[in-house]
Amino acid sequence: MKIKVTQDKLSKALANVSRIAIGKVTLPILNNILIRVDNKKVSLVTTNLDMAIIDFLPVSSSENGVITVPAKLLTEFISNLPKGEVIEISSKDTKVTIKAGKYSSIINGTLADDFPDLPEIDNKKAVTYKIGIDEFKNSISQVIVAASNDLTRPALTGVYFDTNNSSLFAVSTDGYRLAKKELINKVESEVKAIVPASSLHEVLRSISDDMEEVEISFNDDLVRFRLGEVEIISKLIDASYPNYQALIPKDNDVSIDLNQEEAIRTTKLAALFARSVDGSIICETKTPDTLSIRSIANEFGENDSEIKTKVDKDCVTRLNSRFFIAALSAFDTPNITMEFSSGVKPIVLHGKKDDKYIHIIMPLSK
Amino acid sequence: MYDVWKNALAEIEQQISPANFSTWFQGTSIISNEDGHIVIGVKNSFFVKQLRNRYLNIITTALENNNLIVKEIDFEVQTKIKSKIRPREITTDTIALKKQLKNLKKQSITKQTNNLETGLNNKYTLDNFVIGSNNDLAVSAARSIIDSPGDRYNPFFLYGGPGLGKTHLVQAIGNELLRKNPKLKVLYTPIAHFYSDFIDSVRAGKGNEFNLKFRKLDCLIIDDFQLIVGKEKSQEEFFNIFNDLYQLNKQIIVTSDRLPSQIKSVDERLASRLTWAGAFDLQLPKFEDKCAILKAKAELQGAEIEPEAIEYIAENVNTNIRDLEGEFSAILLMSEVRGLTPLELIKNGSISVNKATRPHSVTSKQIVDKVAKYFDLTPKEMCSKSRVSNIKTARQIAMYLLSRELKLSTTKIATEVGVKDHTTVMHGIKKIDQDLHLNFILRDQIAEIKERIYG
Repeated sequence: MKIKVTQDKLSKALANVSRIAIGKVTLPILNNILIRVDNKKVSLVTTNLDMAIIDFLPVSSSENGVITVPAKLLTEFISNLPKGEVIEISSKDTKVTIKAGKYSSIINGTLADDFPDLPEIDNKKAVTYKIGIDEFKNSISQVIVAASNDLTRPALTGVYFDTNNSSLFAVSTDGYRLAKKELINKVESEVKAIVPASSLHEVLRSISDDMEEVEISFNDDLVRFRLGEVEIISKLIDASYPNYQALIPKDNDVSIDLNQEEAIRTTKLAALFARSVDGSIICETKTPDTLSIRSIANEFGENDSEIKTKVDKDCVTRLNSRFFIAALSAFDTPNITMEFSSGVKPIVLHGKKDDKYIHIIMPLSK
Repeated sequence: MYDVWKNALAEIEQQISPANFSTWFQGTSIISNEDGHIVIGVKNSFFVKQLRNRYLNIITTALENNNLIVKEIDFEVQTKIKSKIRPREITTDTIALKKQLKNLKKQSITKQTNNLETGLNNKYTLDNFVIGSNNDLAVSAARSIIDSPGDRYNPFFLYGGPGLGKTHLVQAIGNELLRKNPKLKVLYTPIAHFYSDFIDSVRAGKGNEFNLKFRKLDCLIIDDFQLIVGKEKSQEEFFNIFNDLYQLNKQIIVTSDRLPSQIKSVDERLASRLTWAGAFDLQLPKFEDKCAILKAKAELQGAEIEPEAIEYIAENVNTNIRDLEGEFSAILLMSEVRGLTPLELIKNGSISVNKATRPHSVTSKQIVDKVAKYFDLTPKEMCSKSRVSNIKTARQIAMYLLSRELKLSTTKIATEVGVKDHTTVMHGIKKIDQDLHLNFILRDQIAEIKERIYG
């Protein structure tokens, strides 16, 4: 095996694939990166048996072969070499020689025999969607904030990809809040799949400026993301997703318009005082034109701020300020509409005259 | 089938490295075997390819060595723990609750009967058990038992304070099992009946009959196991029956108000066996859960009660579900007699949910003094910096009571009990809070101290 490649390209690819190979694993070889050269096609592969990252590396010259190298050592070594240097990696048996100008070293690799074979997705049987990379990145970031990390409820630790009325949605919820975004308005094939949030975080991290589009393919128990030179394969979560439609309330009592920046600032001020208790703030509308956001913490004092906006009914609700700030910050538009009722009905946030992205939060009880 | 796979795994284990074995073979099982077409369940699709490409030969040989005819081996993704726990769909206002209510109504129409043979009362079903965050784990285990008794949760050990629904849940399991298969032999018996039966049978010289009666069962449900204290012969007999039934893969269900290891004079062997398959606890319902329970009850009785009144009751009854329902009925009755709505009654003060009407004249000094006295300490000793365990516990109980009864801030409490800063107080309160669920001695102590404070 032999490849010749510039430092910056190699370093970027290694940084991207090595993330899931560093850490505690039961099988030592999973700490390695597999480097395979097959007819000028060079791939760097890592897996943690829940997902795999493959980076196809453009190289100037190569010789066929395959070897695995400890991910951490290789990544750190390459990243510390001077930029712009041309690096030559070659292997003989398990010895991997790395040469770059006046630097040279030999790393002990492992034969690739024990490296797990990766599952594949049969393109003919798979359901495939394509989305612009910015749209994808933005949407998934908006949704993933509401995913749970409670492992006892596996379904909620993922993002649910769901087609409904011939649109594709991404949804996540942790039982206290829920975020839903329309990814594609019109799709022909259907899918219902829960993608682990951890895998999606890796996908998001792999996105770089030169990518244009992401191709997502699902089969029964796998999903594959193709973006630029990177391919990520992940298992799906085998569980049934709750009926999220039922959680979105239809007829809230009051609907008000908010400016994103102003609402976040006001909530953060109130949250400072809510720290010692449960972080709860009280939102109250007062006709005709006031939303009051306040918090009371006996030890520090209290805070009461007002936002001017059109109000046609008096309502009061109590929210977790952390959830509320996260929800407000997730919007990519400054004009947000907030709908809520007094009592236990969830509050709904969506863009003004736009419900592609919906974020709902359960109010707190007294 | 399962044993064959165990044997095969033992063989495979010797042929490959431990790391490979634990990575690829842990959690696998044979799902089906039809005339040599064997399907093996694996964790996810990453495993399918690896096992097929690398280990197919080893697996085939190992299975054949165990006298299995192997024509074809297939792999299938199978998640072992299918979570049946539903997300907390805000029980107060959702379809789920409406469905439960419907079931409740249906239930209340059918006649309640006590079956003499099984000891089960058919008013207890899973449908009228209000599920909340306080009990969802236990309920999902119960469902799994109903699906396959004697399997994963055997024995099923359920514990929790009085009035939290232990009896309801285990009776519901018995009823559902019978509904699915009327031929099953299910017996529900409080432990007190168990030993009085036992003594009677020994006296009448019919020990054998007693033995047979229990050993023929498919599912044995023992309620209030903690009362076994001091009945050594009965305990021994129960231990034998337990072992026999367990060997035969029969379902055993035991409830108690505490963990077996906390029950005095329970044999260690029995105590550890009872919690083999884990111990499930029923906790006090949270505020939302309590509201849900009350709403369900109101709709069931067709009673009209304001949401604010429900919240008031839920907030002020903090003991158990039985008390919650008791207060609720009392208020409804009062409202009928006086001709006022429940909320009006509460507002004009003619109703006093008893936990809410404690005299507020109690001072922090009184609490500190009473706690110290209970532990035979002087207040000064208790509020010292001593780390001696009983003094520390006393101090923490004092913090807990100051916070719960007087709602003092943690900083204030810190000065009251003479600790340096409020984080110590927060830790102390949290510790007592956690221990309360599990430690029945502490529960009794605090109840007694409260009685002294208010009495």
